Amino acid sequence: MAKGKSSKGRSAFSGLSVVASAVLLFIVALPTFVTLVVGLLPSMVAFIFDRSPGRTMARCVFGMNFSGVAPYILELWQVPSQTVGGATQQIFQPMALSIMYGAAGLGWLLYLAMPPIVANVLNLSAQRRVGELRKKQRALIKTWGDSLIKEVDRSGN
Amino acid sequence: MAEQAEDQEQEVSSGAAREPVMDVPGGGAVPENPADEDEGSGAEVGEFSASGKSVEVGNFRIFLDLRMPEFDMGSCKAYSADNLRRDEGNAFAVVTDPVVPTRQNHITFLSGMHMAGQIDLLDSAIAYWPPFGRNTMILFYEKPGGGRVVVGDTKKPTIDEHDIATVVVEPLMGVLHAFGDKGITHRNVRASNLFFADPLRQKVVLGDCASTPPGFAQPLVYETAARMSADAAGRGVGTIADDLYALGMTLAELGIGHRPLSKLNDQEIMDLKLSKGSFQAIASQEKLPLVLIEPVRGLLCDDPAERWGFNELNAWLDGRRTKPVQSNTEKRAARSQNISGRDYYTVRSLAQGMAKNWVSSLAPLRDGTVEVWLRRGLGDNDRAKALADAMRQLQWAGADKRAAEDILVARAIVIMDHDGPIRFKGFAAMVDGLGYMLSYDVQHGRGPQRFADVIVRDIPSYWFGRQEGYSSEVQKLQQVYKNLRYYIQQQSAGYGYERCLYALVRNQHCLSQLVEQEYVVEISQLLPALEKAAESASEDSWPVDRHIAAFIAERLEDDIEGQLLAMQNPSDEVEYSRAIISMLAIVQWRHGPDNLQNLSHWVARLMEPAIKVFHSKARRERVETEIPKLAKRGNLVELYNLINDEQERRKDQSEFVEAVAEYSEAESEVFDLESSGPARLELAEKVGQQAAAFASTMIALLTVSALFLMHIF
Repeated sequence: MAKGKSSKGRSAFSGLSVVASAVLLFIVALPTFVTLVVGLLPSMVAFIFDRSPGRTMARCVFGMNFSGVAPYILELWQVPSQTVGGATQQIFQPMALSIMYGAAGLGWLLYLAMPPIVANVLNLSAQRRVGELRKKQRALIKTWGDSLIKEVDRSGN
Repeated sequence: MAEQAEDQEQEVSSGAAREPVMDVPGGGAVPENPADEDEGSGAEVGEFSASGKSVEVGNFRIFLDLRMPEFDMGSCKAYSADNLRRDEGNAFAVVTDPVVPTRQNHITFLSGMHMAGQIDLLDSAIAYWPPFGRNTMILFYEKPGGGRVVVGDTKKPTIDEHDIATVVVEPLMGVLHAFGDKGITHRNVRASNLFFADPLRQKVVLGDCASTPPGFAQPLVYETAARMSADAAGRGVGTIADDLYALGMTLAELGIGHRPLSKLNDQEIMDLKLSKGSFQAIASQEKLPLVLIEPVRGLLCDDPAERWGFNELNAWLDGRRTKPVQSNTEKRAARSQNISGRDYYTVRSLAQGMAKNWVSSLAPLRDGTVEVWLRRGLGDNDRAKALADAMRQLQWAGADKRAAEDILVARAIVIMDHDGPIRFKGFAAMVDGLGYMLSYDVQHGRGPQRFADVIVRDIPSYWFGRQEGYSSEVQKLQQVYKNLRYYIQQQSAGYGYERCLYALVRNQHCLSQLVEQEYVVEISQLLPALEKAAESASEDSWPVDRHIAAFIAERLEDDIEGQLLAMQNPSDEVEYSRAIISMLAIVQWRHGPDNLQNLSHWVARLMEPAIKVFHSKARRERVETEIPKLAKRGNLVELYNLINDEQERRKDQSEFVEAVAEYSEAESEVFDLESSGPARLELAEKVGQQAAAFASTMIALLTVSALFLMHIF
């Protein structure tokens, strides 16, 4: 219960800090704020709809989405006089939107593709282990004969 | 056993049950009239005649066509024999009946020993006897110088009545003294077993006493009132007082020139002796010489405590007067007790009447008639009280009412005649004759059931309880009996009636079908006999059966209870075969012989289950390769050691346990792996998502870092 409370508290704190950062960013660097809001729109949607524990899907989408947004933020920061208009012009270019949202899509695809890959790896590993164990059992039967099986059955019963 | 006892035929009064089944040449049947057989068995010479044939046994040559019927002992036939080592003296051989046990103590005591008054037993041997087609015990005696004392049914006494003291009594007293000192009894003292020691007929010698069970060949009249109602084979070892009684009857026969009461049949003799007492029975029917009346009266006294002993006989020999004895000490009732239409006046005769009329004697016992008769007719409150107690116990009997009724009758008989034999539905044997009776029953087709019934019903315990005063003999018998109860209650091999048989009869040969023909009496003879049997043994038979197990358990000095315990469960082939091989190996180790090739091969064939004692295939293969090599050497001990290497077995066992654990562990892991598919998918999804999130985060970090670095440089 205490753990649940603390994680809830931490989550609330984290949400609050995001809002505070966003407000601060809105006040201090409005063009950056606009770029981030528009660019990270898929991540925000993902965070809203992903209610799974740990929000892995949202994290996946965010990581890749941010990788797509980051070059444009940096490009914005390289302009001496940052304006909302410049920022808007930059991000609403089709190429930029494609990169940012495409990266978010890649994140989502990564999220979908990874579990089957891991499952295959685990299955292969299990099959290899079963093979090893069967080989070991065959060796034991070769050494001890049928009495081993009988004894195993007897002790099993 | 107890249940089977219930099915036993109730009617035992008919003589049919007493007829033995003759299964071998020589028979073993109790002669209807032993002395008559002694006197008239010349016709049987032709039976074994083989025109000049002879058999060499040890230092003797036995002539099969030269029968010596005067030395026959019941069913044991005598043949002329030559001593190959000595020129002087004649010998004869008594070929014992293989279905009747001999007396070990007597053979050991008398072999090679000269005792005045007793025929010299030169040697004994177990040898193949062609007419029987099997082995049997042969006793070699020195032929006495004179002939037989009693020849035919002559009316004239062969020894003058005044010479009887010196010619007969003195030597026989010497013999009985020597036997008494050794703690054994002769039990074959009778006129027809007396021989003149020399041609001048100055002394007599007693004949054979070792070829048959005690009292087996005695005519009924020679048995005391207590023992005469037992079956011939169950008359028991007895005491020196029984020999003295037989001496008294011998004197009577020598005095009157024929066997006393020879005109009467056994039942009539028994009735007469029970109603009048032994001496009065003789005196009323025969004319005893005056000079012999006193010793005959003293020696035929029915009370063993009152009976003449050596002191009284010595006094009589010296011409001194001795204390007078009451000829009949049996108390006679004022009125009779009727059983099955017959009146009985004494307790002993009533006991015999009850034994003969088993079923009909129950009613007067249950309605208290016998108790009232004891109290009022006989004034015997002690017996009446004992009978009342026995009847009270009948009321406590549970569902097994019939068994309880049988026990009541048997106990009532013991109460009436506490010195007499144990009688139970046709079985009648003295407590010290139970073993010989069992042996006779088993070898004559009656089987062990009657004996088992007596033991299971615990009748001997009641008999012991009714004995008065302290007697070391009774104490010894009681100790032996305790073991019998234990043996008979055990069902497995090595126990049962077989164990009782070998425990009770020292000279009982092993009755296993495998070795019976070999007449195995000593444990050292067993393996050679089995070696011979192994030549024709069937593939799947075991070399140790119930008889052999019991024989080894009783005759071997070592404790083999462990092996017998393992044999309790024949379905456990490994332990069963190991126990058998171990038992035989111990016998070979103790008694040899060193080389038993046939038996070793037989054992080797049966070692297959014992090899399973090893789990490791490699070890088994090694043992399997070794077995034929060792079997060729004929050494059972080595064969046993091969499968009983304790260190190797322990190592094999611990390694096997480890292997089983390893196999089980692997099996359970395989099971886990094979059955965890859905769980693995779930795990894969979770791990995959986390990995994707991680990878995405890493890509973001790397991108930002790369952009920063690009911006800086």
